[in-house]
Amino acid sequence: MNSLILRGTLVLAATALAVWFVPGVDDAVESVFQILVLIVSS
Amino acid sequence: MSWSKRLGWICLWVVLIFSTAVITAAIKQRFQDGPNRVFSGGPLIRGELHQGAEPDWGFVNEIATIELQLLEPAQSRRIWVASVEGKLFVWSGYMNSVAGKLWKRWPGQAERDNRAVVRIAGKRYERRLIRLREGPILDDLTALINQKYPSRTSRQAVESGAVWVYELAPRLATTEAVGGAS
Repeated sequence: MNSLILRGTLVLAATALAVWFVPGVDDAVESVFQILVLIVSS
Repeated sequence: MSWSKRLGWICLWVVLIFSTAVITAAIKQRFQDGPNRVFSGGPLIRGELHQGAEPDWGFVNEIATIELQLLEPAQSRRIWVASVEGKLFVWSGYMNSVAGKLWKRWPGQAERDNRAVVRIAGKRYERRLIRLREGPILDDLTALINQKYPSRTSRQAVESGAVWVYELAPRLATTEAVGGAS
């Protein structure tokens, strides 16, 4: 269980760091989010 | 582990990872010069600050969105715009719903401090937001909004408070400094 929590924390931290520092990832995430919002609201 | 359980775990991880990515991207945008498509941004820094006579705002009817920043809090968002009778207007819908009040916080913030900066086609303009609650101009404005955008608003919706309309009027005796290039 501890191992699972540790792995989960690492994966989420890696995700956050990638979005913050890798150019273009934040924009891509926003694009997907925008499409999801449009689908949900239509 | 059964297939359904494994699928449940995969879905949970996908949701967690995507949520983390969205939250991170939204926070990151707060530190940027202006909004992106959906996420709010920080103060509008770049762009020449307009000085002098009031422009002919008719050109904004050919523009899909502008960037609007309040001075307090100094956050910016992308917003629809229209011009009628030489005046510049922005608006916020869903204001009678709980979801709208949670989602659209800038109108409430503008009630407390109406100073704003807009950036249109790379140029910044110091303005103040004046709420328009009634009047015949709303007929022309809502007709233009419905023609320009996939929207179905009306003068009655504005007068009932479901849609908050603001005129972006010039600042009076402007003394408030706007940061960044000018």
